[in-house]
Amino acid sequence: MNPEGTPVPEENPVPEEPAQPEVTGRQRLLRSLWPPKVSRAQLIVALLLFVLGLGLAIQVRSNSESSALRGARQEDLVRILDELDDRTQRLEDEKQRLDDQRTELENSSDQAEEARRQTVEKERQLGVLAGTVAAEGPGITVTVTDSKGAVEGDMLLDAIQELRAAGAEAIQINDVRVVANTYLTDGSDGVEVDGRAISAPYRFKVIGKAQDLEPALNIPGGVVQTLEKEQATVEVTRAEKIVVDALRRANRPDYARSSSQ
Amino acid sequence: MIAVLGLVVGVVVGLFVRPEVPAVVEPYLPIAVVAALDAVFGGLRAMLDGIFDDKVFVVSFLSNVVVAALIVFLGDKLGVGAQLSTGVVVVLGIRIFSNAAAIRRHVFRA
Repeated sequence: MNPEGTPVPEENPVPEEPAQPEVTGRQRLLRSLWPPKVSRAQLIVALLLFVLGLGLAIQVRSNSESSALRGARQEDLVRILDELDDRTQRLEDEKQRLDDQRTELENSSDQAEEARRQTVEKERQLGVLAGTVAAEGPGITVTVTDSKGAVEGDMLLDAIQELRAAGAEAIQINDVRVVANTYLTDGSDGVEVDGRAISAPYRFKVIGKAQDLEPALNIPGGVVQTLEKEQATVEVTRAEKIVVDALRRANRPDYARSSSQ
Repeated sequence: MIAVLGLVVGVVVGLFVRPEVPAVVEPYLPIAVVAALDAVFGGLRAMLDGIFDDKVFVVSFLSNVVVAALIVFLGDKLGVGAQLSTGVVVVLGIRIFSNAAAIRRHVFRA
């Protein structure tokens, strides 16, 4: 009889047990389990069960240790691969987009940094011109000693203009910075520069090319000769480092506005 | 007793020796295992009924495995492998359940 052939109706064992005094299924099972008997049937069944256990173990292990892909069918694998490709493509696109964005942002921040740097640089240059920041560099020192009190504002103005014409970039008289709108007047007790009285000796600190500045003062009929005619002594010394550190406040213009042109 | 030992040894060997299964056989292994389980449960029931025959058991075991693998193979070729193997598993599962019910009546008388 085939063990897994037509399934025996389930009421079959029920009449079997009480009716027949012979061994029941349970006794038969116990008897076959113990004591172990080596018979052809036992060996054959053992062999087949060995194969079954082997297959079972292999299958369980391969299922649990590797991913679900191991037992997957070809068409499933193809579908999974397609999905992964699509996903990779989408992620690549997104990465590309984000990279572009990052490059763009970096460029713009670089440009902003460059613009800021240039602005600071320009502010320094303009500050030297406007007298709002200290300046240093090579130049000359001019000391006008006026023992008789004969030196007047126009003579100092001549000196300033001569120096400017010779390329002076920053000038200070005593402790007053000379800028574009500096004016000189003759006050009651000496010369006033921008309304501040200064007294002799007048010390000019001038930043510029010393080889140009010194001859400009010393030309015949020039500043030095004119001053010496007034019994004043003029001493010009060159220096590698002149510090012009007198400052003036930056005044916000009331009417003039910068034009975009 | 020796038969039970065979099963245990098979599981142990499968777990520790880790034999490599050829790729050709691999898709059919789960179905073949389920078919073999069905044959074993049938054999156990026959033994409890007192009608066990080793020759019949061997033939039914092998034919079960071969037929199950064949059905899955055919299904793969026809493009309905997944559905067909599901069907085979369902049928074998039902048979295992009915055999288990008969075994239960023998062992527990309930």
